[in-house]
Amino acid sequence: MPEDPIAAAQADGRATLTEAEAKSLLADAGIETPAFSVAADADAAVEAAEDIGLPVVVKVSSPSVTHKSEWAEGAGVAVGLDSAEAVREAAEAIFEAADARGIDADVLVEEARNVDAGTEVIVGGLRDPSFGPVVLTGLGGIFTEVYEDTSHRIAPIDEAEAREAIEELTAIELLEGYRGREPADVDALAAVVAAVGDLVAEHEAISEVDVNPVLATEGGAVALDALVVLGGDA
Amino acid sequence: MAFGVLGDVNLQRLFRPERIAVVGASATEGKLGYEAMANAVEFDGDVYPVNPSGEGEVFGEPFVESVTDIEATVDLALLAVPAHIVPDVVEECGEAGVGGAVIYAGGFAEAGDDGEELQEAVIAAADEHDVALLGPNTSGFVAPASNLLASFAGGVERLRTGGVTILAQSGGVAHQLAFSAHREGRGIATMVGLGNRANVGFEEAIPYFDSDPNTDAIVLHVEGTDDGRALLEACRESDTPVVAYKVGQADVGDFAESHTGALTGDHALYTAGFAQYGVPTVESTTELFDSGQALANSPEPDGANVGVVTAQAGPGIITADRLQRAGATLPALAEDTQDTVGGILPGITYAENPVDTGRPMPEFGDVVEAVAEDDNVDVVLVYELFEEALGFPQETLDGLAERVDKPVLFTTEGPTESMADDLAALRDADVPVFTSPERGADAAAVLARYATLDDAAADEEVSADA
Repeated sequence: MPEDPIAAAQADGRATLTEAEAKSLLADAGIETPAFSVAADADAAVEAAEDIGLPVVVKVSSPSVTHKSEWAEGAGVAVGLDSAEAVREAAEAIFEAADARGIDADVLVEEARNVDAGTEVIVGGLRDPSFGPVVLTGLGGIFTEVYEDTSHRIAPIDEAEAREAIEELTAIELLEGYRGREPADVDALAAVVAAVGDLVAEHEAISEVDVNPVLATEGGAVALDALVVLGGDA
Repeated sequence: MAFGVLGDVNLQRLFRPERIAVVGASATEGKLGYEAMANAVEFDGDVYPVNPSGEGEVFGEPFVESVTDIEATVDLALLAVPAHIVPDVVEECGEAGVGGAVIYAGGFAEAGDDGEELQEAVIAAADEHDVALLGPNTSGFVAPASNLLASFAGGVERLRTGGVTILAQSGGVAHQLAFSAHREGRGIATMVGLGNRANVGFEEAIPYFDSDPNTDAIVLHVEGTDDGRALLEACRESDTPVVAYKVGQADVGDFAESHTGALTGDHALYTAGFAQYGVPTVESTTELFDSGQALANSPEPDGANVGVVTAQAGPGIITADRLQRAGATLPALAEDTQDTVGGILPGITYAENPVDTGRPMPEFGDVVEAVAEDDNVDVVLVYELFEEALGFPQETLDGLAERVDKPVLFTTEGPTESMADDLAALRDADVPVFTSPERGADAAAVLARYATLDDAAADEEVSADA
């Protein structure tokens, strides 16, 4: 992994970071991510999976693929892989599909997290033409666009302001332990919201950050997927 | 800030001039230059009609050929000229040492690429000479205290003085707010239609009127601006209370663009941003001026606890319901207060909050006073239908807000003719008066939100500095 994923992407003339690059940027900003590793072939993928510990998730990692789960009839994302064999099969399927499509691809091997154990939240940041850096949080997962339960702030913000933004959501009831579920660590989630705001405020090159979902659980807030888009004039 | 070091001076010369020129003044009734001149001559200072083809006098003032021919230095030029010659006229004004200009003409940034180019040319000429520009595409501004009617609209000479300054993106909305205030016996400090905001926008006008001694509250009408963050920062810096009405929740992009030359910004960002920077937002022109009126004529509220006193149960219920939905709280009254109220009105209908006296009565004022003195209460809201035999509790209300150092708002209704004199007396005593339970409750709720948001914004500012 290069030291500066933004510079690496710019050097390649890319407008988006790979998921691995985006996650290392988030990790540098203090945001928890699942353990992950990028592998260039199936053997390396299996080795990475054994280092991380099963079960794992295997995803296509390529600047040419933005919507991983829709790519190659679903071959782009394989979840719940609990054996070396399953990892190898998933990785080979990705490399074959990439060859068939004539693109360069690696695989991202990542520690599996149980999304049922928490609430999926979206945290995003963008550079608005009128307001500059702004940050939003909302109910994440597949219902994000159905409920549009979001709350915005002009960035940068501190964690107290981030917490207020979260408390404005209808989804705060889910986060606080609806119907006997364990309450999520809202302070940890607030730290993610503040950190995403800081990322956009501090890196002029970033035009958009989409961390969806952040899994908010009793034990913390983890960035399960991330997209970082760079601006044209950076 | 588009200006150099002369910026503040030239905003002062724009909004508080001593000498004004009307460029394009005309003696022909119905022409813009005639209407502008008709209003301008009301001004307490000197007024010069400028028109190279003008002969003799207009409204008793002799025509001059050019602003550069006026011996005294003109502070403000009102440009009643067609769009295409505005760049040259602004250049001429600059050479003559004019500090500010109002550009009435449309056909600039709101009208496509050619207009955009024309506006750039105007800005370039203004920047060279540090001329502060109001407009283009505006009906101007009015400051009743000095009879400064820098608007071409009819009837503005009737506007009275008051503590609210209106900063509207649209000149039409500025006039709507001012005239509706007037109809209710209220006045204004200054009414400004910002129009295309060539170099005087919200972020320049807000600090200027914050420092204006006649302005006690600023109300904003915002369609959309290129630098939303600068607008928010200007609001946060303002010691004078600011309330905002952001238009454009539904998709009105096309209309707004052709109307003012601005892209309507993202409503969610404005709403969140105003709250974050300490500015309560409202949903109508009525609510905007009502809350401005309340803020301008009240001590700053310390919190969101509203004590309600009503002489009629039904309006009191509407009031209490609406207050709570709009972010205010109704605290329990202190035991002392309840005892006092119980002593004044044995067997009172409801002695918690709202206090319901059941009917207007001579002791109503004493009940209001007891609630106003309660430390649990940050804002007092009174509802009482007008009863001719009793009148309003004028003696109690006069000076009560200052004495208890909290806002006291009065809501009533009655036959217009019978209560007119009593209402005028309340207004003369600077009591914020409203004529429906909803309007009174909405204004009180804005005071409550202002108190809460202002504290939060101040805290954030401190933590940002730390």
